[in-house]
Amino acid sequence: MLWRPAKSDASKTADWRGFVSLFLTVLIGCVVGVYLFILLLDPYDIVPFSLPIDRRIVSISDRFMYPQIVRSKRFDSLVIGTSTSRLLDPEVLDRLFHVRFANLAMSSATAWEQKTMLDLFVRTVGPPKALIVGLDGVWCDQRADYNRITFRGFPDWLYDGNPWKKYLYLFNYGTLEIAARLVGYHLNLYGERIRYDGYEVFVPPESQYDPVRAHDTIWRGVRPPSDQLPQPLAAQELTQLSFPALQWLDAGLARLPSTSLTVLAFMPVHVAAQPPPGTRDAGIETECKSRIVAIGRKYGAKVIDWRIASPLTQNDANYWDRLHYRVPIATHLAEELSAAALAGRESEDGSYLLLVH
Amino acid sequence: MLFQSQFYVLVFLPAAAMLYYSVASSERARQWCLICASLVFYGWWDARFVILPVSQILATWLLALAHQRTGRRAPLIVGVALNLLSLGTFKYLDFILGSAETTIGIVLPRAHLVLPIGISFFSFQLISYLVDRMRGEAPIYPLRPFALFVLLYPHLIAGPIVRHNELVPQFSLDPRRDGLWQRIAIGLVIFTVGFAKKVLLADKLGTVVDPLFAEARLHALNLGDAWTATLAFSFQLFLDFSAYTEMAIGSALIFGLVLPENFRRPYLATDIRDFWRRWHISLSNFLRDYLYIPLGGSRRGLWRYVLATMITMGLCGLWHGAGWTFVAWGLWHGLGLAMCHGWQRLGRPMPKLLGWAITMLFVLAGWVLFRAASFGVAGSILASLVGLGAPGGALQEIKLLLLAALASALIPSAHEIINGAKTPHPAVAAVGALLAAYCLLIVGENAPVSFIYFQF
Repeated sequence: MLWRPAKSDASKTADWRGFVSLFLTVLIGCVVGVYLFILLLDPYDIVPFSLPIDRRIVSISDRFMYPQIVRSKRFDSLVIGTSTSRLLDPEVLDRLFHVRFANLAMSSATAWEQKTMLDLFVRTVGPPKALIVGLDGVWCDQRADYNRITFRGFPDWLYDGNPWKKYLYLFNYGTLEIAARLVGYHLNLYGERIRYDGYEVFVPPESQYDPVRAHDTIWRGVRPPSDQLPQPLAAQELTQLSFPALQWLDAGLARLPSTSLTVLAFMPVHVAAQPPPGTRDAGIETECKSRIVAIGRKYGAKVIDWRIASPLTQNDANYWDRLHYRVPIATHLAEELSAAALAGRESEDGSYLLLVH
Repeated sequence: MLFQSQFYVLVFLPAAAMLYYSVASSERARQWCLICASLVFYGWWDARFVILPVSQILATWLLALAHQRTGRRAPLIVGVALNLLSLGTFKYLDFILGSAETTIGIVLPRAHLVLPIGISFFSFQLISYLVDRMRGEAPIYPLRPFALFVLLYPHLIAGPIVRHNELVPQFSLDPRRDGLWQRIAIGLVIFTVGFAKKVLLADKLGTVVDPLFAEARLHALNLGDAWTATLAFSFQLFLDFSAYTEMAIGSALIFGLVLPENFRRPYLATDIRDFWRRWHISLSNFLRDYLYIPLGGSRRGLWRYVLATMITMGLCGLWHGAGWTFVAWGLWHGLGLAMCHGWQRLGRPMPKLLGWAITMLFVLAGWVLFRAASFGVAGSILASLVGLGAPGGALQEIKLLLLAALASALIPSAHEIINGAKTPHPAVAAVGALLAAYCLLIVGENAPVSFIYFQF
C-alpha cells in the first residue's frame, strides 16, 4: 500500500504549497506573537526585558504568583504553611513584630512545597528577620517524600533559580490568561486578586456566616472515636516512625542564623479534624509533634501548639469548616502569636500550649 | 519524547524535517537522518533503552543473513525465539512467575524489570519479517533500511504495526517527488487532528476515568458513575490511541512516508467482525496473517474456526498486557466473533441499528474488563452497569461525553483524510494552524500525559 498521488499540474502544486505556507505562517505567527505577549507582559515578573509596568497579583494561583513577591525583596519576613495560615494578615503581623511580613502560605501546600518556598526566600532575600511556619498534618505525613506536590501541580521552574529554564515553561494557556488579566488590570477591567504581601481572604464574607450551616459542615462525615483504630503502637514502634518532611524542616532551620526569629506554630484546626485521643493517629501525631519540638529546641525556635482540644477549637462558631477559622479569629491568633513568641506568654484560656520558648 | 509535547512540535519535528529535506538527494543520508532522529526520539526517555531494539534488530538481521547464506531454517527459528524471549522476559516474566506462584502455592522471586517502551510493537515487526522469510516472502534488505523499517520513530512506540514490504520500498523514493506539498499539507492536518483529539478530549476524559475506576476498587459504583466510567474510558481509549496513530501517520507523511491505516471509526461498527476491521487494523491484520490463518482460519470447519479465533484473540489480549483480565478481554472478543460468525451463517441479517447497539454494549463490557485492575473490580462495575451496585447516581460529564461521541463518530480517519483531500482550502490551513497553536498552549500547562498504548 503506497500512496502516490497522480501527477499534479503546476497550479495544484502551488495551491498545496500555499496551504503549507499559510498553515506554517499562522502557526508560527500565533506561537511567536503569544510568546512575545507573555514575555513582555511577564505576569510572573521573571523576564529581565519585560515592559516596566506595575505587576499586581491578578491570579489566585498562589504557587505561580508568590515567587515574584519574594523576588521583589519588599519583605524581610515570611509565613509559610497551608490555608490554615493564609488568614494571618501581614499588616497585623508587621505591627506586632515590627518587620515586613509576606504571607506565602499556599492552599493545600505540601511540606515540600513550603520548604521550597523557604529556600527561594533565603536564596533571594537572605535569612528572614522572622519566619512563621504554620504546621499542619502535611509535616507529619509519613509519605511526604512521595506526595511532594498536589494535583494542582507545582511550577518548580519558578523556584529553582535557573535563569534559562523559565523560558521553556512560559508558553502555556494559564500564563497567557494571567498576562491578559494584567492588561485588563491596567485598563481598569480587572482587579487585583491577592494583595501584594500575599494576603487573601479566601473564606466567604463574614456577613454570610451561618452557624447552623457551619456546624453541619464541620461535623458531616466525622467518624466517632469508637470507629477509629485504637493506638496499637508500642513506644518502640513510635520511635521507628519516619516523618520525611521533618528532615526538610531541620535543614531549613539549620540555614537560618540565630538572629532570625523562628516560630513553629501548630495551627488551630477544629477538634473534629484532630485525631481523637487514644487512637493510632493521635499516637502518631503526638510522636511527630515531639520531634518537631526537638527540632525547635535545637535551633532556638519558639514552638506554639494550637492543634489541641481547647475553647478555641471546640467552638463551632469560630469556624467555617473543620480546617478554616473565621477572619476575626485570625486577628486574635496573630496577637496570641506575638504574645507567645515575643513575650513568652502562656495562653490565658488554654487555647494554645507554649511548647518551646 | 511525546508527539504532543511542545518540544516535539516546535523543535524536534521541524529540525528533523529540515535536516531530512536538506539531504533529500542522497538516499543514504536520508536514511541515516531518520535513524538518528529515531534513536534520539526513543532514547529521550532513557538512553539505555536504545540498546534493546538495536540489539534485536542486529540479531534478527544477522540471523536472516545466515538463513540466506546457509539455506537452513534454523537461524530464522532462533530469531523468532530470541524476539519472543526478549518480549517474554521484559513483559511477561513477572506475570508468569505470579501465575505459577498462585498455582503451586510457593512464593517466587520477581524480576521487576522495567518494560522498555514499544517492545511489543518492534518485536512483532521483527517476528513478522522472520516469518515472511520462512515463507519466502521477504528479501534480505541492507542493514540500514532494515534498521530504519523497525526504528522509524513515528511508528516505533505504538504502531501502526508496519510490514517490511509496506515501508522499505518507500525509503528509496525521493521525498521531493510529485505531491511533496500535498503530502506535507495533509501530514500537518492529520497531525493536528490527532493533537487536538489527544489534548482536548482524551486527556480530559482521563481525569474522569481514573478516579472512578480507582473508586471502584474501594466500593461498588452507582449506576450513573458506572456508565460514566465505562463510556468515558471507551472514548478515551479510542481517542487516545487513534490520536497517537494520526500524529504518527501525519509525522511520517511529512517525511514522505505513508504508514498504514489503524482505525476507521470503530464505534460505528454494526457487528463485532466489523469492529475488528475498524479497530487497531494493523494489529488485526498481523494476527490474521501470522496466527489466525496458520491456525486454520475459517476454512477447516466450524470447530477449527472457533478454536483458531479463541486462541488468536486470547493471545491478542495477552499482547495488550501481562494480566489475566487482558486474556479474558481477548477471549470475550473471541466469543463475540464466533457468535457473530454463527449468526451470519444463518443468513438472517440483523437491522443495522440493533446490530450497532448490541455491538457497542458488547464492546463496552469488554472495555470494563480491559481497564479494571482485577476481575473483582470488573465484576463490580459490570454489576453496577445493570443497576446492581450502589443506589442512585446519574450520568456525569454529559457534555464531554457527547463531544467525545461526536468526535469518535464524525472525525474521519487518517486515510479517509488522505484519500479525500483533493483540493487545498486556505480556511482549513488557517483553522488547523490556530487549533495546533491552541493545543500547544494547553499542553504547556502541565507535563504532557503519556499515551495509554505506551504501556503495551
